[in-house]
Amino acid sequence: MSKIIAVISGKGGVGKTTTTANVGLGIALNRKQCVVVDFDIGQRNLDMILGLENRVVYDMVQVMDGEVTLDQALIKSKASRNLFFLPASQTKDKSVLDSEKIGKMLQELKEKFEYVLLDAPAGIESGFEHTIEFADAALVVVNPEVSSIRDSDRAIGILDSKSKKAIAGEDVEKFLIINRFDADMVEKGEMLNSEDILDILSIELIGIVPEDRGVIDASNQGQPIILNPKAEAGKAYTRIAKRLTGEKSPIVEPRAKNSGIFGKLKGMFS
Amino acid sequence: MFSWFKRKDKSAKIAKDRLKIAITSDRTGTEIPFLEDLKEDIIKIIRKYKDVSNIDIRKVNDSISIEVELR
Repeated sequence: MSKIIAVISGKGGVGKTTTTANVGLGIALNRKQCVVVDFDIGQRNLDMILGLENRVVYDMVQVMDGEVTLDQALIKSKASRNLFFLPASQTKDKSVLDSEKIGKMLQELKEKFEYVLLDAPAGIESGFEHTIEFADAALVVVNPEVSSIRDSDRAIGILDSKSKKAIAGEDVEKFLIINRFDADMVEKGEMLNSEDILDILSIELIGIVPEDRGVIDASNQGQPIILNPKAEAGKAYTRIAKRLTGEKSPIVEPRAKNSGIFGKLKGMFS
Repeated sequence: MFSWFKRKDKSAKIAKDRLKIAITSDRTGTEIPFLEDLKEDIIKIIRKYKDVSNIDIRKVNDSISIEVELR
């Protein structure tokens, strides 16, 4: 059965769009039909990360308004034939969003794709509420940093109180992604570790993505880092995509560079 | 005697403690949407009899706990 997954964060700038692009592509590379939708109306970012900005002709607001069909607006990814992209509108603002129209469009997407990933706008304003409204599950992206964690807790609170599933008394699955994790800093006690973050947010962890300079290099070229088999962040996204599609894949805690024998042993067993 | 090795709390520990408190208070705010109005009303009533310096309202399971500090 197909699933709508909202990618949320609370605060902006934690790597939500990068996560949407990479996890979506990871799912597609895992031979599942996947669509990533840019719900950040007015700000359009996902097209750049995916390297598809030149192919955008129509956007999701035009689809919702019935000006064009879904097939006309969907853009096929260069990296996988299983991945499609639905762009945000750049000219209109968030006020154009209407629950009924969104619901109808998402239902149509659900019929075509197994996984529908929605890249939520930053903050917890109306655009955010529309993104989580029809979600079956959410990927919560945080950085190991106080403001990001606090804001994500508020975003989770809204998900649990305002999504259709939550209102119906059903459980909205929530998966935590800790992004931009710096193992060296964690080892020095200068950054929250995954255990601390899980203790505070108490939702299920699905993956830890290490801080990786390659992410910017990848987005410069419009080539999501998951396509680079050597990049640690890319490997982490591959594992997350696997877990999300029900395959077994370990959660790997990134290791500090000079962690010595104990760190290495811990890494082997985790 | 080992206290020499124990420096100040590492910042990650401080972050965790601060977050726990901040998030607990954030959650109270969303759990009781009428919190601020209720606070004002209670202060008004009690001030008829005694001056109030602080009031703390929180949700404990299914009940609301109100603590009034007198001046």
